[in-house]
Order: sequence, then C-alpha cells, then structure tokens
Amino acid sequence: MEKTISIEINNLIKYFYEPEKFQVLKGLSFTVQKGEFLSIVGKSGSGKSTLLYVLSTMDTDYEGTLKINGDVLTGKTQNQLAAFRNEHIGFVFQFHYLLPEFTALQNVMLPALKLGKLSIEEIEHKAYESLRLLDLKGQELKNAKRLSGGQQQRVAIARALINSPSVIMGDEPTGNLDTKNSRAVQDIFKQLAQEHGQTIICVTHDPDFANNTDRIIEMQDGLILS
Amino acid sequence: MSKTTNIQIAKVHLTSKIWQTFVAVLGVTFGVSMYIFMNSFMNGVNNAQDDLAFSALSHIRIYNLDNKNDYNPIESHYKDSKTLVTILNRKNIQYTTGLNNSSAIVSSVMKQPEVVAIARQVNANVFFRGGSKQVNGIISGVELKSEDELFNTAETVIQGEWNNLLTYKTGIILGKLLAEKLGLQINNSVNVLTSDGVSKNYIIVGIFESNLKTMDETKAYLNITAARQLVGKNSDFASDIMVNIKDRDNTASFIQKIASMIPYQIESWQEANEQLVAGSELRNIIAVAVSLTILLVAGFGIYNIMTMTINEKIREIAILKALGFSGNDIMTIFLTQATVIGLLGALVGAIMGYGISLLINMIPFTIAGMETLPIFFRAQDFLLAIVFGILTTLIAGYLPSRKASKIDPVIIIRG
Repeated sequence: MEKTISIEINNLIKYFYEPEKFQVLKGLSFTVQKGEFLSIVGKSGSGKSTLLYVLSTMDTDYEGTLKINGDVLTGKTQNQLAAFRNEHIGFVFQFHYLLPEFTALQNVMLPALKLGKLSIEEIEHKAYESLRLLDLKGQELKNAKRLSGGQQQRVAIARALINSPSVIMGDEPTGNLDTKNSRAVQDIFKQLAQEHGQTIICVTHDPDFANNTDRIIEMQDGLILS
Repeated sequence: MSKTTNIQIAKVHLTSKIWQTFVAVLGVTFGVSMYIFMNSFMNGVNNAQDDLAFSALSHIRIYNLDNKNDYNPIESHYKDSKTLVTILNRKNIQYTTGLNNSSAIVSSVMKQPEVVAIARQVNANVFFRGGSKQVNGIISGVELKSEDELFNTAETVIQGEWNNLLTYKTGIILGKLLAEKLGLQINNSVNVLTSDGVSKNYIIVGIFESNLKTMDETKAYLNITAARQLVGKNSDFASDIMVNIKDRDNTASFIQKIASMIPYQIESWQEANEQLVAGSELRNIIAVAVSLTILLVAGFGIYNIMTMTINEKIREIAILKALGFSGNDIMTIFLTQATVIGLLGALVGAIMGYGISLLINMIPFTIAGMETLPIFFRAQDFLLAIVFGILTTLIAGYLPSRKASKIDPVIIIRG
C-alpha cells in the first residue's frame, strides 16, 4: 500500500504568555502517515497536550505550519476550522466532556447531525452501532450525566468516531477506564487504523497503551526526544 | 440539517432547566403586560377626560371677536399733513356683535365632508332672579336637536324633558346648582335680566346636571328663538356656531380649509384649551416613560438570565466548538432560546395585560360621571408591546450569545 501523509507539521513554535512569556514548543517538525497509530508521551509540562491542541486545529496561536490531508490549516478562520474538525477530526478529551443534558445517543449523533451528510435515521443507526461496539448497549437513552465515568468516556469515543474522521485524536482517552475497557479501546483504535486507514494520535501516560501503538513520540521541554 | 440541529440543542437547553426558562419568560411577560395595562389605562383616562371636556366644548367654535378698535378715520386722514389732531376721550362704536347671517355660514360649513354636527347658539350674560335671590350666569339659546347631537345635553336633563323647550315658548332649563341657589324647583318661574336691562319671566321646564360643576352653577338653556327675542336680535342671529368634525385632532387643517369662506374668528378646541392638550400629552409621556422603563428592566432581567445560562454552559459551548460547531451555530442556539423566551413572554404578556386591564376596569370610581376606572384598548398598544418585548429579548440575548460564539475551546478544555 502506498503511504500517504496524513499530518505534517513544520517548525512548530508556540509560546505561553501567562504568567510570563515562555516557549512551550520549540520548533517541532514531523509527519504522520495515513493509518498510523501514534502515541505522544512525556512528563507533564513537556508540551505534549499543547502539541495535540495545535494538531487538533483548536489552538491557532502558534508559529509554523500545520497540514492535514494535504490542506494547509494554518491561517484559516475559526469557522473554517470548525467545519474542518467536524468532518475530518474526531476528538476524545482528557475528561469525558459530554453534554450532560443530552442522552448518550444524542451526544454521539451531534457531530453527524452537524455535518448533515446522512439522514437522521442513518445517523441514529450508526450511533447505536457505535455504542454497541463500545459495550454500551442499553445505555443509549440515558442522560449523559447519569452514566459512570467509564461509560461517559466510551460515549465520548463513540462520538469521536461517528463521522468516520480521517484523524482521531485523544487526550488520555483511556484515562478513566479499567484495564478491560482500556484494552477494548486500544483494540478498536488499532482496528480503525489498520482496517479503515484512520490516523490515530493519542497523548497518554499509560506505558501499556503507548507500547501497543505503531510509533511513540516522546517529548521533553518542548522538543521531541525520539 | 445543521440548522435543525441547532434548534434541537436550543430546545434541550430550554426544557432541561424549565424553571429558569419560566423565570425568563416571566420577565418578558411582566414587561409586556405592564406596558399594555399602563397604556390602556392612560388611554382610558385620556378618553374619560376628553368626554368630560367635550361635554361642553366643541371641536371648533366660530364667533365674532369684534376687536376692530383701531379704526380711526380722523387720525389717518391727517396723518401726513401738519395739522395737529387731538381727540379727547375717544370711544369705540360697536359695529357688530355676533353673527347676523348665521344660516349662510352654517350651510357653507355643512358642505364640508369632515363635519359631524353643527349647532348655533345665542349666549348672553344675565342675572337670574327668583324672589329676592339674584345670581349671575349665562343664558344659552340653543337649537335643541343639533345641540344634543354635539353635547348629548338631553341626557343631562334630570327633571323634565329636553324637548320641553320646543313645546313651551317661555320654557327654561336650569342647572341643578343654579336652581338650588335660587331656591327654585321645576314648574316655578324665574326672572332673567339682561345687560341691556331687558327683564323677562320664564317657566322652569327642566333641570340639568352635567359633569361640570361650573356649568350646573351658572348655566340655563332657552330655545334659540326665545333667546334671540330676549337679546333683541334678528331671526338669523347667533353668537357662536359650534362645529364637531370627524377627527378632533385634525382641527388645524379643517380651519385652514374653511377660513377663506368665513369672515369671523374660527377657534379650535386646542387653542381654546391648551391645558387640556398639555394634560393629555403629559399623561402620554408618563405612560411611555413608565412602560419603557418596565421593558428595560425586564430586558436586563433577560440579559442576566441569558448571561448566567451561557456562563453555566461555557464548557458545553467549548465542546460543541471542538466537535465542529461554528461561532454562528452557537449564536443560533442561544438566539433561538432568546427568541422562544421573547415570543412566549410577549404572547402570554399580551393576554395577561388584557386580563389585568379588565380587572382594573371593574374597580369602582364614581367621580364626575364615571362608574369604574377607565380602560381603553388600542390594537397598536398590543402590537407595540409584543414587538418591544421580542426586540428587548433579542437584544438582551444577542450580547451574551455573541460572547458565547467567541469562546475559545482550548482555554476551557485545557482546564
């Protein structure tokens, strides 16, 4: 299979200005292949989460360039980036950020409804499927705030997958899961990468998780060690 | 599809915290209903005031001012010569009083389409005498039918009949307080003495009680022919011609139209009663000020609630943005909520305003011919209240919504 580049960053520099000017990312450059399962590790403060937020297109306050699927995303407007995220990036947050007043099913459906490429019935079907895959059968119509932490985390993962994004990003995606569920998520990610060619980038503290990925980027003090 | 998604999100927000929504709606409801009530009440008061005023006041009065006291043929003749002119104790000669050709004026005014009613009067200051009592007052000779059309005078006659003046040539109708002062009752006779020294006896065929105390104390009605006889004038004489037109606020243009045809003074009720106009204008200003204040306060309430809602949901907004919802989507979500609150509040407010006004209209208030507190509904007040209510809500919702649309997802998600 011919390898295509999924994500490419070039000389990425980022500063924090509070409480004083501080360089978090010190000129990073790397590429990620399509279908690669990548983990970013490092101590807290190493800049790995910051890097992920830049990659996710949510953080636009940086120097250097970011390319995903060949599109240069640096310099685009917030609304353009939002539309791009909606279609191409699935995101699993460090904490299970669901909309508490919506049901698990609604939470999963939202990005697809926003994208508007499928009919509501199709989206609903897909969401049920996704939730079943993540061992959440029977919880679909419960309000998100009534689910346990682990369940919420898995709903968030199902939500990230709904639009079949080309890139899935996770900030400690298994941080709230027990070993069994953590393994299940890792397997799903692996499967997505291998079978659907989706690129997966996860920031993690969990060495087991990291070792299970195709490639590990280790960061320290805003630089890539390996 | 994205639009309906936004609306669905708004719906969940509105229904999941139903109490908060209820309070926000109540804020608008309160503003709108108070606006409607205040305006309906003020309109009622203004109408009652006008009814009171127009029971003795016509929209337009035509009369002969007779102020030609600058006529001085001697001085003007010798003005440029070197003759010294001295006139001692100069007096004015009265040329005309009243309108001697009243029917010609009446018929030309009647041709105007705006005219609703027109009546001639012969008014004179007189002394009323009953036995030893002597009271000064005004005698008003009237055309019975048209006078009643203008002022509904027949209704005010509490003893006897208005039309008795037609049948009894020497009949007179006295104000209630005037009759009491003179110590006279119906069917008694009363003596009337004019300023020219003419004295004549009349039979009291009726007593009237209007809403104006001064009228009841000083006024008496005669048939216009009897009055002409009393003041010694021809059968076409009138001292005043009273005209009512369709739109009493539009007197100025009507006067302009007829001024060229009529060689006498034409006076609108606004000119004659500036205090009436001022009073009604001031009441209107108060009504508008009070109701706008209420809407403003309600608007601030909504602004607070919307800001609170958005602050509460700041994390959710960040999530939505991370999922790919744009700033405009977020704005739509919160503006939809504001619109629903505004619409609901305005409609309920309109109904409530109507209800409150009806209740107030039942409170007894028996002064000057009124029975209950006056209320008058106008469609435009309801329309304005609803429009204002929705508009205030939208403005109050727009500012926090804009803030929400600019939230940076990273700052919140990073924690």
